[in-house]
Amino acid sequence: MSAPAYAACVALVTALGLGFAAWAHPAFLHSSLQNLGLEKAPRAMPGSFYITRIAPLFETRCVSCHGNTRAKGQLRLDSFAAAMRGGKDGTVIVPGDPGASELFHRISLPVSDDKAMPPSGKSPLTADEVTVIRLWIAAGASGEMRTIKGAPKPVLEVRIPESDPAAVQKQRAPLAAAVTQLQARFPGVIIYESRNSADLEVDASLKGAAFGDADLAALMPLKTRITRADFSGTSITDASAPALAAMTALTRLRLARTQVTNKTIGSLASLMTLKSVSLIDTKVSDAALAPLRQRGVLVYGGGNE
Amino acid sequence: MSDLTSDDLLAEYLKVQAQTRRQFVGWGAGGLGALFMNSAMAAPPQPHAVPSALNFARDPATPLSVLPPQFAAKVKRVIYLHMGGSPSQLDLFDYKPVLKRFHGHDCPQSFLAGKRFAFIQGVPKLLGPMFPFHQAGKSGAWISDRLPHLEKQVDDLCIIKSMTTDQFNHAPAQLLVHTGDPRLGHASLGSWITYGLGSENQNLPGFIVLISNGGTTANAGKPLWGSGFLPSVYQGVPCRSASEPVLYLQNSPSVTRPERRQVLDAVEEINRENFKTFGNPETVTRIAQYEMAFRMQLEASDAMDIKKEPAKVLERYGAEPGKTSYANNCLVARRLAERGVRFIQLYHWGWDSHGTPVDEGVNVGLVKRCKETDQPTAALLADLKQRGLLEDTLVIWGGEFGRTPMWENRGGQEMEFIGRDHHPSCFTLFMAGGGIKHGISHGETDEMGYSIVRNPVEVRDLHATMLYLLGFDYRKLNYPYQGLDQKLTGVKPARIVSEILA
Repeated sequence: MSAPAYAACVALVTALGLGFAAWAHPAFLHSSLQNLGLEKAPRAMPGSFYITRIAPLFETRCVSCHGNTRAKGQLRLDSFAAAMRGGKDGTVIVPGDPGASELFHRISLPVSDDKAMPPSGKSPLTADEVTVIRLWIAAGASGEMRTIKGAPKPVLEVRIPESDPAAVQKQRAPLAAAVTQLQARFPGVIIYESRNSADLEVDASLKGAAFGDADLAALMPLKTRITRADFSGTSITDASAPALAAMTALTRLRLARTQVTNKTIGSLASLMTLKSVSLIDTKVSDAALAPLRQRGVLVYGGGNE
Repeated sequence: MSDLTSDDLLAEYLKVQAQTRRQFVGWGAGGLGALFMNSAMAAPPQPHAVPSALNFARDPATPLSVLPPQFAAKVKRVIYLHMGGSPSQLDLFDYKPVLKRFHGHDCPQSFLAGKRFAFIQGVPKLLGPMFPFHQAGKSGAWISDRLPHLEKQVDDLCIIKSMTTDQFNHAPAQLLVHTGDPRLGHASLGSWITYGLGSENQNLPGFIVLISNGGTTANAGKPLWGSGFLPSVYQGVPCRSASEPVLYLQNSPSVTRPERRQVLDAVEEINRENFKTFGNPETVTRIAQYEMAFRMQLEASDAMDIKKEPAKVLERYGAEPGKTSYANNCLVARRLAERGVRFIQLYHWGWDSHGTPVDEGVNVGLVKRCKETDQPTAALLADLKQRGLLEDTLVIWGGEFGRTPMWENRGGQEMEFIGRDHHPSCFTLFMAGGGIKHGISHGETDEMGYSIVRNPVEVRDLHATMLYLLGFDYRKLNYPYQGLDQKLTGVKPARIVSEILA
């Protein structure tokens, strides 16, 4: 056989092989063309419905088997292009037609079905997750569309407050000495609101009658940092009213079972951040509480008992 | 007295605590370097410094001293009402009219294929709700007529209808709910929380357990309030609501309080000597526990004495001083909450409803348990709310799993009494208190009440959410043990249930 004829034979066989591969696995053809830069790979836009809602869902529920490391059924769902390309048996997403889309068909099968996805042993997609995928395919399986009408609300992840120890220490510094000294004088009564904060909480209720007006007055150096205070059951009286009124950061104040009267309540008007106050078993009257109630402060006990 | 001062004791304690097995083994090879490491780690914590890893070191003489949470907390304490044996969600909260329609039909094959139940075999019959349901409160939550008192508080509840577990036997399921793991040896919720936050009242344990009995006893027993790998000072202390709150706590008639003090001083001296010789940190725990018991002799009796409550309060709870009852325990729980106890755990046993004996019938035992608990639970919620305590308390009510929508047919036989088998796939639990939405239902089961169709909540998700409300990231509240930073939520990813947060 002449050299040109041989070359032609090899070329023909190669072309046939590649042609068969492309026919049998269209995903392979597109993936090869896209990798060679001969075909434009479809991309999803940042902020699109696909990026914000579909990709995270694929990532957490599908990609461990349909991704870079394992691509079962030659299907990968770790990029928009790969998802649209499909797997061994062709495309799995038919834009505009969830019913004809293999991907949707598989995730909506009953758990007991052999073909159901995720396979048995893994938790099935929730109703909301299935709905989101159905609506996205029905709306054209677009990588650009940003919102889809009727889609269930996204699930919010709770953000844990960041902690910056250096910043917190700096905030605590001006009062650190006073806090240490008063914590030693009143063990267990004064505590930082959290490890993230320079704000303080005071709970003198367990001291009972041993805690009085003079003790409350001793807390004055900390007055602007106290956000919650519980003086229930202590022996404080109206003499503490000015000190309480000076605790301008208070959000919650408990004065149950104390001798305080309407006079103290009057001076609480200056506490603009106050959200709730407890006056159970005190002689405070409804009339005195009216202004606080009008401001939306929750009042426990007092004149309404 | 011993020549070991309390400062020495503190330094020594911290040194022993910081010394892990690996460091100990390393001593042989590391020599002086390891010695230096140990003394460097023994530095007592600086009060205003904020270390990046959460530090829970305390003076060993006050192991329950209060520590601030990681970030601002929504609640300061927890009252956990565990209904041991597991109440039927289908007869109390999770109303299923479609199941009612199919009552008495054969259970569909799709429910049974590949499933294993504790007792159900063959093809059981479907069992509709046993009691009439109606909507209650402004929220319109469905509730059965067995809970007429709780119904009045329904707008304070966050009802989770999509709890799910992977345990279908009582003891492991209870362990999972209370310790985050179905096996023995893990620290319970109350232990984690008192370890993390300490307790305000140094004269009472930070974690108190109150038990009442509606028939059977605790399946998993004491490990439900055990401290597991945490220091044993954080374990729950069971107290009784009748007669003496803690057995053997009071002095016998022939012993005076000063005499008791003398005995304790002598015992302490021996314990200190023992610690000096063997360096076991649990010895320091023991010294602290003896001291707390001495202080508790006065405080506990007062806290547990419900005779001090006005008659109208006793009546509201249905409490009767001198008896052991869930009602008494609910009232004690409120008194303990007022006294700064961090974690108050109630157990009411006897909710198992297989229908094998008549008292386990859904139409008999369940009705009795409802009667015993409905009024006190509602009274506790109302009382906490009225006193402003619900603002910073988290109340949780629930069992360890759910019950089947099928009539149990033990051994494939039709049963004489009406019962439901264990059903781990879904159950109902409610929460009330600070930081969570109230008057809502979260999650949904299918129309037969067989599986969850919306917002499943794993037990570890519940734990992560609880810790978040108490001011902790569940990933950060941990304790090194067996080479792993142990967490309440275990090693599987958990999720804070953001949908129920206020």
